[in-house]
Amino acid sequence: MTRRDFSERDIHMALDGELPVDERVAYDAWLEANPEMKARSVRYIADLAALRATFAGVLDEPVPARLQNIVFGEAPVKTAASSSRWWLAAAAAAMLAIGGVGGYVAGLDHLGLEDPAEDQLAEQAIAAHVLYAAEQRHAVEVPASDKDHLQTWLSNRVGLKLVAPDLAAQGFQLVGGRLLPAGESKAAMLLYEDDKGERISLFVTAESAEKTKGTYGSQDGPEAIYWLDQGYGCAVVGSLPRAQLTAVAKSAYSQLVAGLAS
Amino acid sequence: MDEKKAAILGEIPRLRRYARSLLRDRDSADDLVQDCLERALVRLDNWQTGESPRRWLFTIMHHLFIDQMRKVNRRGEAAMLPLEAREAQAAPAEQVESIASREIIDALQAISPDRRAALVMVAIEGFSYAEAANILGVPAGTLMSRIARGRDELRGLLDDAARRRAIRIVEK
Repeated sequence: MTRRDFSERDIHMALDGELPVDERVAYDAWLEANPEMKARSVRYIADLAALRATFAGVLDEPVPARLQNIVFGEAPVKTAASSSRWWLAAAAAAMLAIGGVGGYVAGLDHLGLEDPAEDQLAEQAIAAHVLYAAEQRHAVEVPASDKDHLQTWLSNRVGLKLVAPDLAAQGFQLVGGRLLPAGESKAAMLLYEDDKGERISLFVTAESAEKTKGTYGSQDGPEAIYWLDQGYGCAVVGSLPRAQLTAVAKSAYSQLVAGLAS
Repeated sequence: MDEKKAAILGEIPRLRRYARSLLRDRDSADDLVQDCLERALVRLDNWQTGESPRRWLFTIMHHLFIDQMRKVNRRGEAAMLPLEAREAQAAPAEQVESIASREIIDALQAISPDRRAALVMVAIEGFSYAEAANILGVPAGTLMSRIARGRDELRGLLDDAARRRAIRIVEK
């Protein structure tokens, strides 16, 4: 039997048939031992059944002749209100969902078509990590030997009181940092390394309006654990095992928040 | 009729179901399917033998959906056509929806298009993570994030709907 830590991610995988068969028993035991996760799983199972039931009937509807005709090669009759206008309804539905007609124009920016803020933060952090963590000689602009200057400089540029976390307990030493663009604002990147040369980075920006947290994985690449709160966003990126990355991220985050408030 | 066309014809019910979950309004959903079929027939030669017709068609339709949604957002076209859009939205649904179904449909529409598509693709259409990631053109990790967030949002929206329903009942 496989021994590993399960997380909420596994609830989704189990639900979607993506959990390996040989992990099923351990997963079920984990659910039984975690009432909160069990409740989450039960709820998602119910939502999934409702979702499927809602759309099940569509498969039994007769196929409209206009659709069959296209495949049979007959020229489709296009009315002005017909084809290619479907997106109007989609846009309208999105608006109405946001806040009725009054919110129509104001809601444009919040259509949800752009990647959500947390995805952007995580993607920027991962991109920076992939680019700079691989650099040997030019990974950072200001080295750890000049830590005081590094902190003052980045704090001034990013607009946050930035204190580089001490991650020695997790086996990581500060290499240094650099200033990066992040959307329309700026971000500070702090690079750390353990004695085996494994690197992780912290990505901190002063731009965020929403409060959320999560993990963001890229295929075969490093993973980001991020937090967003009023006025700042932070992501910890690395290719460490999930539990180890989580431990490092928690320590870094609590020190960053303490630093911000100092 | 050749084999390719027969295969496409067989996928129409599933394309319609996917479109309906993306767009709510029945006619708009069928318009999307129509655009998809038209594009598919023009590109029949691009369809490689051995490739699943389902995956090929879903990929075409998903691109149509997302491209158009992005275009609307970028050009602000929707802002110039509020009345028309309102009418399109207000078109009466022909099917009788139960309260539960209506709440599900409303909640789905309130989720961002990217998350909605990812969730529906796996939860309703039954694609594997690998297949869905391939169709949507995103890494598997991103797909998983979208599914997880989509499900979480859906749960919150359904809770809100249930709460509002409870308040209405109390007010009566």
